Amino acid sequence: MSKPNDLVQGTLDLLLLKILALEPLHGWAISLRLKSISGDVLQVSEGSLYPALHKLEQEGWITAEWKQTENNRRAKFYSLTYLGKKQLESEAANWQRLSSAISRVIRLEEA
Amino acid sequence: MRPQHWLYTIPLRLRSLFRRRNVEQELSEELQFHLEHKIEEGTARGLSPEEARYAALRSMGGLEQRKEEIRDMRHIRWLTDFFDDARFALRSLRRTPGLTVFVVITLALGIGMTSATFSMVDGLIFRPYPVPHPGNVVSLVSTTHDSPFDRFSYREYLDIRDKTNSYAGVVANAGMEAVGFSAEPGTTPRIKGGMMVSGNYFQVLGVEPRLGRGFREDEDQVPGRNPVVVLGPDFWRHEFAGDESVLSKTILLNGTKFTVIGVAPDSFPGMLTFGHPDFYMPLAMARVFSTNIQMNFFEDRDDRELRVMARLKPGVTLEQARNELAVLAKNFEREYPNANRSRSAAVYTQFQARTIEDDNWKFGVIFVILALAVLLVACTNVAGLLLSRARSRAREIAVRLALGAGRTRLIRLLLTESMILATLGGLAGIAIGYGIIEWFRSKDSIVFLTELPMAVPFHMDKRVLLSCVALSVLSALLCGLAPALQSTRVDLVNALKSADVDVPGRKRLLGRNVLVVAQVSMSLMLLTASFLMARGFQHSLMEGTGFRKDHLLMTSFDPRLIQYNAAQTQQFYKLLAERMRETPGVQSEALTQNVPLGNDDFDGVAFVPDGFQMPPDRANFNSTMDTIDEGYFATMGIPILRGRAFLSSDTADSPRVAIVNEHFAKHYWPAGDAVGKHIHLDSSAGTPVEIVGVSQTIKNQNMESPTDFVYMPLAQHPVARMALMLRSGGDPLQLVQPVKDVVRTLDLNLPMLQTRSYEDLFLNQAVRGPLIAIDLVGSMGLAGLLLAVAGLYGLMAYNVSRRTREIGIRIALGAASSNVLRLVLGKGLVLVGIGTVVGLAMGFALEQLMNSMLFDSGGVDILAYAVVVPTMFLVTMLAAYIPARRATKIAPTQALRYE
Repeated sequence: MSKPNDLVQGTLDLLLLKILALEPLHGWAISLRLKSISGDVLQVSEGSLYPALHKLEQEGWITAEWKQTENNRRAKFYSLTYLGKKQLESEAANWQRLSSAISRVIRLEEA
Repeated sequence: MRPQHWLYTIPLRLRSLFRRRNVEQELSEELQFHLEHKIEEGTARGLSPEEARYAALRSMGGLEQRKEEIRDMRHIRWLTDFFDDARFALRSLRRTPGLTVFVVITLALGIGMTSATFSMVDGLIFRPYPVPHPGNVVSLVSTTHDSPFDRFSYREYLDIRDKTNSYAGVVANAGMEAVGFSAEPGTTPRIKGGMMVSGNYFQVLGVEPRLGRGFREDEDQVPGRNPVVVLGPDFWRHEFAGDESVLSKTILLNGTKFTVIGVAPDSFPGMLTFGHPDFYMPLAMARVFSTNIQMNFFEDRDDRELRVMARLKPGVTLEQARNELAVLAKNFEREYPNANRSRSAAVYTQFQARTIEDDNWKFGVIFVILALAVLLVACTNVAGLLLSRARSRAREIAVRLALGAGRTRLIRLLLTESMILATLGGLAGIAIGYGIIEWFRSKDSIVFLTELPMAVPFHMDKRVLLSCVALSVLSALLCGLAPALQSTRVDLVNALKSADVDVPGRKRLLGRNVLVVAQVSMSLMLLTASFLMARGFQHSLMEGTGFRKDHLLMTSFDPRLIQYNAAQTQQFYKLLAERMRETPGVQSEALTQNVPLGNDDFDGVAFVPDGFQMPPDRANFNSTMDTIDEGYFATMGIPILRGRAFLSSDTADSPRVAIVNEHFAKHYWPAGDAVGKHIHLDSSAGTPVEIVGVSQTIKNQNMESPTDFVYMPLAQHPVARMALMLRSGGDPLQLVQPVKDVVRTLDLNLPMLQTRSYEDLFLNQAVRGPLIAIDLVGSMGLAGLLLAVAGLYGLMAYNVSRRTREIGIRIALGAASSNVLRLVLGKGLVLVGIGTVVGLAMGFALEQLMNSMLFDSGGVDILAYAVVVPTMFLVTMLAAYIPARRATKIAPTQALRYE
């Protein structure tokens, strides 16, 4: 059993929350969407995706519902909750702060 | 997490727990959905369906593991695992019912015995007083050279109460004694147990009466003024059927009217270990119950009848209280040199008080040690069995390990099994323990041969139950941990290769060997202990008592019960003796204050023998004594070795005389003759008493070593309570009616107490009582032996089955049966031998412990070992032999085919 390391897990949560903020999706669709939006840069393995989704569900940030897809198959659709929206905002803000700080350090010219 | 979070997540977690199948199904479905899409994507990219499926499965890295990870996220893993393990364990236990039942029974035996004996130790030592905050209740005692646990006199109690600062309250109580009780005037009084207590007793101890009130301080102030009584809870229920109108009722105690002012609550059966007083009276009423006619209870500082207890003030340490009391005792010594020479005082905690006062607790401790040994044998048995089982499941365990189960996880699984076994064993153990305790309590009529309300203080109460639970958990760990640890340390390759490979690595077998040795040695120790105990009791039994026990009727009287004064009492006994002598069928009569080997305490006498210079630190010597009449020695068949017995000429007006036993005579005048010498009462200036005879030393108080003894004539040393002993030609009980007739002519109302044949009393004291202890220890020894034998047999049988193939090959290659026997037995013999040696050492240590604690049989009892060791050896060898013999009968062809 591999436990995803903290940093990766943290950003994955953020990504998933953001994707679900746009519209409710099932697991497969989420992985496709992530791949396409990031231009194939971000590819999440099933081993990380589903545990992450279930963790978000445990925390109460997303909720799940079994619905029919366009092809009339049953799938578990996840959507963002009110608590999740708040969490998304705070995590997004954190990410902004963190990334700008890192960028500032990277851009330092050598003296 | 914020509160709203909890509200949302709890239902989710609960759902995970309770609707697991549903949730599991959903998870499978979700992952299946994902898999199908992945395969579609693969085929869309141009792979064939099989290739696509293969690729998808590979990339999803195994569905099961994904599921495991997700399940992990649900935070209730440990609980679901536990249920899984429990179900699995129950299934596998059900598959081997014989083994399961055997294990549960052995554990139940061990746990039951240990908790029953623990209840003894608890009742005798540890159980706290039945009052609020029992921790700060201490006992105050008077101490001398000879006795670390003496009582105080009334005056001393008052001084302690008023002149100390360490206590929030100081109470006193006399011992529980026989009181003649009548609910209505005119009815014959019956004997009940009453206890005199100080006025502040209930208040300081914090006992809230169930009805009415306790005593007030002023009710205990003036002697004889307030005849009030508080009833004990059981007595109230028996005598008055729990009727609440008993308050303000008048009852007769020893012929005096007393008013009932209260009833003690059920939670307070009394502060005594064995006795539950029927009622309580104020100390001020002592004249009605006075035990000793000659002394003035309220004035004599020498009349020591009171036990004193106190509550420590908050903030005061035991040390401070002790020092303060020691100083006060020194003051007593100074101010009252006659009464308090070389007397000090001490403060004891409950534990000290219970362990110093008498020796009963020591038996309890020995029993606990023995019971623990039984439990240990049971546990080693079970551990051995579980180890064998684990070994046969080696393959299954190896597979699990190979599939990725964590070692801890597997250990938990195996431990769950032993936990379930231990729980079942514990439950059954509670039943067994309860049975043992009840059996013991049913014997209380044998243990206490008296009219007083005594009870055996062993209960299956919640403390004992808790000990049961703790023991179960402990045994679960003990039995299960070693096998669990060892079997998960499996060499995967070997285990998977073939089903029954038992590579006899040395480290592997060490565990089992240790178990066998432990079993044999514990068992040996148990057997030795039972044997020693049995011998110890028997020894003292066989040793003769020194007097005749046959054809004797005994019955006791206490004229104080009908308010006779001293003169009337003396007259009564004089007439009784005369008339009984003349009664047909009576060969001889005797009056004695205390029957030899009876339950009552003998009086003591303080004296200074002729020609002795007392050292500065003590005023006198002490000896136990008895008050008798002229017929005593003849009736009891005790020879007078020198001098004479008492005569009717020894009256209150003639010079004081006494008779001593030979032990006493040799003690003080080893060279000369005691006859003609004097002893001076209390001090060298005290009343001289001439020794007129030396009697043979008999067993007076117990069957142990004899002690000094002094006899005084009733005419010169009047005592209220006396026992009448009659020797008859035939059945002593035939004399009961004649005695009743004579007593009736003297006084209609006087009850006859404890009427029985002396032989009956003796059998009870010397035989039936000790038999109870022997039964208990014997059954423990037997249990230990049976368990060890079963364990050894199991081990041998298992070894043989493991090595069947090897043995088959050996036989095929030409080994004779004797060779095979030697092969199999050899190891067993060595183990039994080691176990015997260890067991001998432990038994020896235990014997020394028993000698120091219980009865000193002196040195080492060789016979015990001479019997026990060979028996043990024989029995265990038999247990080992049977499977070994079966090994020789193994048909090689069958063995080689064995898988």
